[in-house]
Amino acid sequence: MTALIGRVVATELKPSTPHQFHFWTARESPIGIGGIVRVEAPDRTVLGIVTDGFAYADLVTPIHDVIGADGDPALALSAPTDRTEIRLYTAAVLRQYPEEPLQPVPLGAVYLATDADVVSALRMDGFTVGERPTGVPIGVYHAGGVEAPVFLDADFLLGPEAAHLNITGVSGLATKTSAVEFLLGSIFQTFPAHKGSVAAVCFNVKGPDLCFLDQPGDLSDDDRRLHQRLGLRPEPFADMQLYAPYKADGVNLNSLRSNEALASNTVPLVWGLREVLDYAEVLLNRDDVDAKAGGFIDFLTERVVGKRFEDITLSREPLEVRSFADLEDFFRRIFEFMEVQAKGSEVWRNHHMATIRKVRNRLGNISLRAKGLVTDDGQPSDLPWGSFADRSVHVIDVAGLDPLAQDLVFARVVSKLREHLERRDLGVDHVVVFVDELNKYAPADGQDTYVRRMLLDLSERGRYLGLVLFSAQQFRSQVLRRVVGNAGTALFGRMDMDELATPGYGTLSPATRAKLAALPKGELMIRHPHFTQPLFVRFPRPAVLPGRLGVERFPPAPDLPFAAAVARHLRALDGAITTQRVAELIDGHREEDVRRSLHATRRARPDNILAYFASLLGRKVQREVPPARPLAGLRRTDDPYA
Amino acid sequence: MTRTWSRLRRAVAARGFTPATWIPAASEGRAEEATIREARLIEELPISGRAVGASEPWPGPVAFLDGVQQYEVMAYAGASPLVVAEIAAAVMERRDRQLRVARATRRRVVLARPSVLADLGDSLTEHVAIELPEVGPPHPVRDFQLARRAIDAERGRLEVEVGSGFRRESDAWMIVDGSLSESPHWSNDPRMIGVIKSHATLPFAGDELEQYLRLRQGWRSPVFEPAGREVAPVFSWALRLWPWEGKDLLHGLIRIEAAATSAILEHADRLSRWLLAERSPVSTPDPRWDRLLYGIHAVELYLRASSLS
Repeated sequence: MTALIGRVVATELKPSTPHQFHFWTARESPIGIGGIVRVEAPDRTVLGIVTDGFAYADLVTPIHDVIGADGDPALALSAPTDRTEIRLYTAAVLRQYPEEPLQPVPLGAVYLATDADVVSALRMDGFTVGERPTGVPIGVYHAGGVEAPVFLDADFLLGPEAAHLNITGVSGLATKTSAVEFLLGSIFQTFPAHKGSVAAVCFNVKGPDLCFLDQPGDLSDDDRRLHQRLGLRPEPFADMQLYAPYKADGVNLNSLRSNEALASNTVPLVWGLREVLDYAEVLLNRDDVDAKAGGFIDFLTERVVGKRFEDITLSREPLEVRSFADLEDFFRRIFEFMEVQAKGSEVWRNHHMATIRKVRNRLGNISLRAKGLVTDDGQPSDLPWGSFADRSVHVIDVAGLDPLAQDLVFARVVSKLREHLERRDLGVDHVVVFVDELNKYAPADGQDTYVRRMLLDLSERGRYLGLVLFSAQQFRSQVLRRVVGNAGTALFGRMDMDELATPGYGTLSPATRAKLAALPKGELMIRHPHFTQPLFVRFPRPAVLPGRLGVERFPPAPDLPFAAAVARHLRALDGAITTQRVAELIDGHREEDVRRSLHATRRARPDNILAYFASLLGRKVQREVPPARPLAGLRRTDDPYA
Repeated sequence: MTRTWSRLRRAVAARGFTPATWIPAASEGRAEEATIREARLIEELPISGRAVGASEPWPGPVAFLDGVQQYEVMAYAGASPLVVAEIAAAVMERRDRQLRVARATRRRVVLARPSVLADLGDSLTEHVAIELPEVGPPHPVRDFQLARRAIDAERGRLEVEVGSGFRRESDAWMIVDGSLSESPHWSNDPRMIGVIKSHATLPFAGDELEQYLRLRQGWRSPVFEPAGREVAPVFSWALRLWPWEGKDLLHGLIRIEAAATSAILEHADRLSRWLLAERSPVSTPDPRWDRLLYGIHAVELYLRASSLS
């Protein structure tokens, strides 16, 4: 039993109800906004959470204080007696015993909640004990010296009952990224075996935020203690892969995690024409993809790309379109045929030339804007579809990509996850997809995009598949309401006052809103289906290297000349390979051939890396040295401005 | 003790008494007749007094003593009233600017003619029974006035009891709401002060009274010895806490009583300066805030808030 801290009071103007009550405390009480209390009365126990607080003295009007101090604020300090003050708190009921009949809170003694009270008040006794517990630690509730672990219900976090999590808060102070990293770690360590396997796919959309999840961070003693209190090991993610596209040169990674020491689990993300064409709708806006253009794209997808396309008017040999280069050649042949042999006709295979030109322009634009992600050689390097490992984290670094390419990555990865989870052949039962800057991808206002529709679909139907969206943004009010509304669990870090003034926060008390506006780092307010009221918790810093420190500890590799960059990739497979040897091997070969060999070698991972790489390089290209032509001598003139 | 009068009410009803509905204004001040009783000047000062100097905080802990009473006519036995009262007294001690209850006592009293009390028999076990004098035939108004005086006296006794109890444990300065004449112990206590808000009994007449009532703010009158205090003589002086100009002659005017000793005479200015400091905080919303020290106000508030009935 904790110490008595107050008494319930009820007046005609401020009565107790079944869902709210008021109590007073001594001035030096340890209770505060967000604190959980227990009311003891004969035949009834009530657990509540403090939502508001008031203090006032026996002063009727401020003028009396002025009179008492002779109008001098300094003299007010010398008053020999402090006025009688009251500390009056309003609390929202979390739970009552007995639960039926539901009655107004009685006038009773108020105590600080114990650990057991916190478990009961938050109804955690329903899912943290028993044969099949589903509790996932999220942080500790702390008030008045009580520090009790708080758990989320995995059934309501990762499905099937409810799912998805959304976190909101101002940039830099709300610890959104840290909270998600910590929670993912917590899920990986405590997700119950009877619920199956779980993996995470995180989109790194800015800077180095999520680039070093496999590296240990520096934790304080308090962080370690909090981990221990929550029953967690302070460890980074053991199985983490980072996928990053190349820069435009096709060999240097477009990521801040390009240090050679981390190359073993840093994987290029490269897609070919086939992968892109399936998601053409992402890249082309609604005006572009009219029925005619859509029909031609379908024609390309079903009849041309990746197939042997036979058309004697274009080529005597069957055409094989596997890359953007092949596609460009395909289009060129059509245009040549139409210009030379079709005698002014504007229709090729029922497709108007204007439509064909439009599709060619749009698709060509993709290969330019997404250069580095999209390869010309037709050989993709992708996520391990079908072989996702339990407790694996896949970080996709799209921070350096053009927004159009980001949308492409996002749409394709999520769509592929959904396809595999529907077929139950992804390798894991649940996947958490973490998307930061949700207001950018699923804005409340603006154009309806493929990505927004996909996020909405994910938030509404993902939980049945085990596909769970963890999302974050600065301003929840700027995100499509149905997307955040479908998040069963919501976390709130430090909030902007303007945001708090929006209607979405109207159910919070003024004191709770004020606390949110000044919430320190490492603290969050939680809404979860089991908690009937929002709850404040503190969580430790995650045991991973923060992105900013990661960049200092593992400085990004400078962009290397072509040969050196290729050698670096091969060294990740065989440490003995030297730049000089690679330079000798690739001398005289076309860069696209070298890239194709490199990607094939990375995929195959043969025993003899260098020999395999060399075998795929093909023939050398003979240098053509144009004969030197004598330059005609310049005529001299005296005009200095000539 | 039961929290309400209900048990006694049932007993009264069972004995065939006539229930009463007249509830007088609760906790009126002590009954006091307006009069002038000329005092003997102890200090050679003009009646218009002198400035005591700037206010000074009271050094060390200070205690405030006050009592309250609530009473009502519960029933009539024939024409004879049965009066019930709750009286209470408390001392609150101030340390580090904080007031805390040091001692408190409350008592329930039943007042009636002896024959009426006898009829109630066992029902009075939880209450103090006070017999009213049987002067003449029962008269509901006269008997009630007698009961009220008895309640005043009982409250005075309770205050003395509580004050004496506190004094046994502490030698802190004690400020009493009212006269020190309640007890010879009080009037001899060198660290006790009575603060009188009522000016029903005035010490001077004529021009002297006019001067007395026109004391300037922060000034005190000369020390005098009030008349009629032979059993428990005290020294007294008036002190103006707040400017009266534009308000009322009595606004902010208090009369102080202290032990009749040379030390008190010597320290009247200093005590006045300490009392001046007690103007703040003002004890609003009490209408007597200009004369009611906040410490006394707090005791009253405590006693009323914790009333049993």
